Amino acid sequence: MPISRRAFMKAGGLALVSLGADPLFVDRAAYALRAQLGHVPSGKTLVCLFQRGAVDGLSMIVPAGDPWYWRDRQRIAVGKDDLVSLDGMFALHPRLATLKPLWDRGSLAVVHAVGSPSATRSHFDAQDYMESGTPDRKSTTSGWANRYCQHAHEHAETAFRAVAFGPQLPRILAGSAPALAIDDLRTFGVRTARAEGNDRLTRAFESLYEGAATGLVATSSAEGFEAIKMLKTANPTALPPANGAVYGRSKLATSMQQVAQLIRADLGLQIAFVDVGGWDTHVNQGAGQGQLATRLDELGQALSAFTTDLGDRMRDVVVLTMSEFGRTVKENGTGGTDHGHGTAMMVLGGGVRGKQVFGRWPGLAPDARHEGRDLAVTTDFRALFGEVLTGHLGATDLSAVFPEFVPGPRLGLFG
Amino acid sequence: MPHVPGLRLLPLLLAAPLAAQAPSNALDSARHALNRLGYGPTPGQVEAVAREGVLRWVDRQLGFGDLRDPALASREADFAVLRTSRREMVALHTDQVTRALRAQAQGADSATIERMRAEARALSRTGERDLRTLNAELQSVTLLRAVASERQLGEVLADFWTNHFNVYIAKGFDRAYFADYLERTIRAHALGRFEDLLVGTATSPAMLFYLDNVQSVADTTAVTAQATRRPAANRPAQRPGQMPRPAVPVRPGERGQAMDPAMVEQLRARMPRGLNENYARELLELHTLGVDGGYTQDDVIHVARILTGWTIDRRGDHGFQFLAAAHDRGAKTVLGQAFPAGQGEAEGRALLAMLARHPATMHHLSAKLCARFVADAAPDGCIDDAVRAWKRTDGDIREVVRAIVHSPDFWAPSAMHAKTKTPLEFVVSAVRAVGGTPDGTPRLAQQLQRLGQPLFSQVTPNGYPETSAEWVNSGALLGRMTFAVALASNRLPGVTVQLDRIVPSTSDPEALLESVNRTLLGGAMTARTRNAIRAELRDISDPRAARALAVGLALGGPEFQRQ
Repeated sequence: MPISRRAFMKAGGLALVSLGADPLFVDRAAYALRAQLGHVPSGKTLVCLFQRGAVDGLSMIVPAGDPWYWRDRQRIAVGKDDLVSLDGMFALHPRLATLKPLWDRGSLAVVHAVGSPSATRSHFDAQDYMESGTPDRKSTTSGWANRYCQHAHEHAETAFRAVAFGPQLPRILAGSAPALAIDDLRTFGVRTARAEGNDRLTRAFESLYEGAATGLVATSSAEGFEAIKMLKTANPTALPPANGAVYGRSKLATSMQQVAQLIRADLGLQIAFVDVGGWDTHVNQGAGQGQLATRLDELGQALSAFTTDLGDRMRDVVVLTMSEFGRTVKENGTGGTDHGHGTAMMVLGGGVRGKQVFGRWPGLAPDARHEGRDLAVTTDFRALFGEVLTGHLGATDLSAVFPEFVPGPRLGLFG
Repeated sequence: MPHVPGLRLLPLLLAAPLAAQAPSNALDSARHALNRLGYGPTPGQVEAVAREGVLRWVDRQLGFGDLRDPALASREADFAVLRTSRREMVALHTDQVTRALRAQAQGADSATIERMRAEARALSRTGERDLRTLNAELQSVTLLRAVASERQLGEVLADFWTNHFNVYIAKGFDRAYFADYLERTIRAHALGRFEDLLVGTATSPAMLFYLDNVQSVADTTAVTAQATRRPAANRPAQRPGQMPRPAVPVRPGERGQAMDPAMVEQLRARMPRGLNENYARELLELHTLGVDGGYTQDDVIHVARILTGWTIDRRGDHGFQFLAAAHDRGAKTVLGQAFPAGQGEAEGRALLAMLARHPATMHHLSAKLCARFVADAAPDGCIDDAVRAWKRTDGDIREVVRAIVHSPDFWAPSAMHAKTKTPLEFVVSAVRAVGGTPDGTPRLAQQLQRLGQPLFSQVTPNGYPETSAEWVNSGALLGRMTFAVALASNRLPGVTVQLDRIVPSTSDPEALLESVNRTLLGGAMTARTRNAIRAELRDISDPRAARALAVGLALGGPEFQRQ
C-alpha cells in the first residue's frame, strides 16, 4: 500500500514535531498567517454534485432532435413546446429553464452520453465505481477526489480544503488526505444542549488534546479545532446571499448556499461535495410536470441561486454534476424508466467553454443502444472528471487519481 | 492443556496482586482484557475480573464455562426482527416493491397485485412493521448486545466476522436476507470453526446476492450441465441482483397474469450473461488467502467457474440452491489443484475446504485477528502462535483466539492502550463505562451513524477498516466529544445513565478527578488532562454539573479514545 504524505505526516507527526519540522504545520501556520493578514489568494474550487439514484439524462438534457426519443417515450417525453432549446438538437427540461441564461452567457456546458465503462446496473456498485474512480474494481478503498488531494500539493492545506456536505464522509473523499464531513455548517463543532456553553467546552477539549493527545489523534484534533476557529473568525454562515440570489428550501439548496459561504469566506475550499437523491424514477416519472420535474426544479433553483450568489467569483468555481448511470431509452410499463447506461452531466462556471454539448452523440436508434436498450456511453466519466481537474484545478498528473485509465482525445471543455 | 508460550504467564495472571512484570498488575491486565476482548469495562468490572483471575474470565468468555445471560435474553424478546424469518422478510421486501409498482401501474393486473400483497401480509406475523423498521431493530439489538451482553468476546467476534464477511444491508434483496445472515450464519459460527463460517457465508443468500454470484452463469462457450437448455427468462433464481420486481412473473400469460411486453423485454435484457467474478475474487482476496495469497487472475476465473450455479432458490424459501443448468461442467484448476470435470456442487464444497485450510488463509486470518486483538501492526510472534493453533485444531476459532490471548505479545506493555477505538468501540465502551442502558430505540444506532460507522452499512466488501488511520479524522473526533458530553449529562438520545453509581457527586474537585480517573480512565489520566479538567471545574459550584463536565471531558478526551 503506498504511503501517502498525509498518512506519513500523521504517523510520524510526533517525530517531525520534535525536530521542529512538520511541514504540514508549517504550511498551515503560513496559511493561517496569510489568512489573518487578508492575503489569501482566491484559489479555484470544484463542486461535485452527485445525483444519487441515476438521473434520467434524456429528460434532463433532452435529445429533441432524435426521433427515437419521441417514439419510445410516448407518455413521459417532455412536451415539444415546453422544451428550452439549446442548440437545435438538445434542449433543457423546462424546469431547468433557470439555467438557460448561464448557457447563453457561455458558462454552462453539457456532456452527453457520458458514463461508466462498467456494465453494472446496480446503484450501489455504480456509485461506488464513480466515487472510487476505478470501474469494476471493488477493492479500491479511497475516493478519486481524496487521491487528488493526496497528490496535488500546490493548494494550501487548510482544514476546509475538501468538504463533503452530509453526516458521513462519502466514498469519493475517503482516504488519507484530510477531509471534513459537515452536515450543516451552522451546527459544526463541539456542541452542548446550551449553545452558550459551546465555546468554553471547545476550549476545554482543545487544552485537553493539546496536552495529552499523540500521533493521529493529535493532528486530527488540531485540524478540528482549527476548523472551528476558522469558522468562528470567518463566520461564513452570517453571509447573506449576494446579488439577490434566492435559494430554495431544499436540503440541496442549503448545502449549495453553505458551499458558497465557504467560498466567499476564503477558507481555502478546493473540493466540495454535495449529493442529492430522488432520481430513481421507475414509476410515474412524469414529463414536464411530476416527480422528476420537481427534482429538476430544485436542482435548477439551487444551481441558479449558487451562481447568482457567487457572481464574479464563479470564474474560479466549477460545478460538475454526476450520476451513476442513466435510464432506459424506452419508458416502462409503469410510466417510468429503469436502470440504463449513459447519461448527461453538466459543467458550470470557471473557464468552461460553455454553450456547447460535448461528447459524441451515439443516437437512440435501437442498434446504436448499449445492450439494445440504453443510451451508449461515448465518454468515460474519468475523461470528463480528469479534464475538469486539469483544466480547472490545474492538475498535471492524474495517474494516481484515475489509475490505469488512459484518456482518449480531449473533449476540449477548457480553453 | 496444550502448551502455548503465553502459559508461562499463567501463574502471574491468575494470582493477584501480580509481580512487577508485564502486565504490571491484575487490575491493568483485567482492564486490558476487557478493552480488547470486550467493549471495555462496566463500573466495577475491572475489579471483578481481577478477583476472578483474568485467564479464568477469558476461558469463560471462550465458552468453557457457564455464560448464560437471562437479562439480555429477556430484552432480546422485545425485538421482532429476531422472530422474523427470512421468508417473512422476503415477503415484506416483495410487498414493498409491489406497492411501488402498483402506484399508477398500468401494465399490471391490479387484482393480482392485491392478492400478492395479501399474501405478503399474511406471511408476516409482524403486522404493519416494514423492512426498514425491522432492520433498524437489528442495529439496535446489536448495540444492546454489545453494551449489555455478558458474552463480550462473543460479541466482539460476531462483529469481527460480520465485518470480515461484510454484506451491505441496503443492497436490494439483502434488506431481506441480512437479519438471517447475521443471526444464523455469522453469530451461529462466530466461536466455531472457520470452515463452517466460510461455507455458511458462501451458501448464504445474503453473500450470493451481495457479491453477485447469483448472476454468474457458465459462459455461453462453456459446456453446462444441461447444455441444450439456456437459462430461461422465467427462472427466478437467475434474475440478476438489483432487479426490483421479483414478484412479477416475467412471461406474459404465466399463471394467467397480464404483463406489459415492454417490461418483459426489459427483464430479458437484464438476464445474466456469463461469468461474474465478483464473489470469486473477494473469496480469495478478502475472505481466505489475502491479497498477497499467491493466486492469479486465472485462479479467480476458475473459482468463478466452479461456483457457477451457486444461487438462490427464489421459488422456495430463498435459501441456497445449486442450479446445474447454470454450472460450468468443464475441468478447472485452482492454485495447482485439479478439479475434474462434471462434479457439480461438490467442486465448490471441495474448493472451500481447500481454501479454509490453506496456509495463506491461516496466516491472513491470524494476522487480522491479531490486528484486532493486539496491535494495528500485528506482531509476528502472536501471528505465529495463532497459526500454530489453527493448524493444530483445524481452524477452531476459540483455540486461535486463546492462542493470541496467551501470546506474550497480547500482554506486552507496548500493546496496552496501543489501539484507537473505532466509532463502534468508542460508543459502546462509553455507554458501558457510565453504566448506561440503551433504550432499544434506533437512536443510539443513529448516533453511531453520525460518528461514521453505521452498522451493516459498509458498501464495499472489505468491511470497515481495522486500523486507526482510517477512523481518526477531525470531524469524527469533534463528534465524539459532542457524544461524550451529551452522554455524561444524560442528554444522549437512546441511553439512560446513572452517574451516581460510578462517580459520587462531590464538591471536592480533587476527589472528583481521582474518581473519574480511576473508574473511567483506569488511572491513565495524564497530568495535562488532569490540569485541563481541573481548570474547567474551577468556577463550577454545582457538584452535579461539575461531575457531568468532568465525566464528559474524560470520555471525550484523548485517553478514552484508546484501548
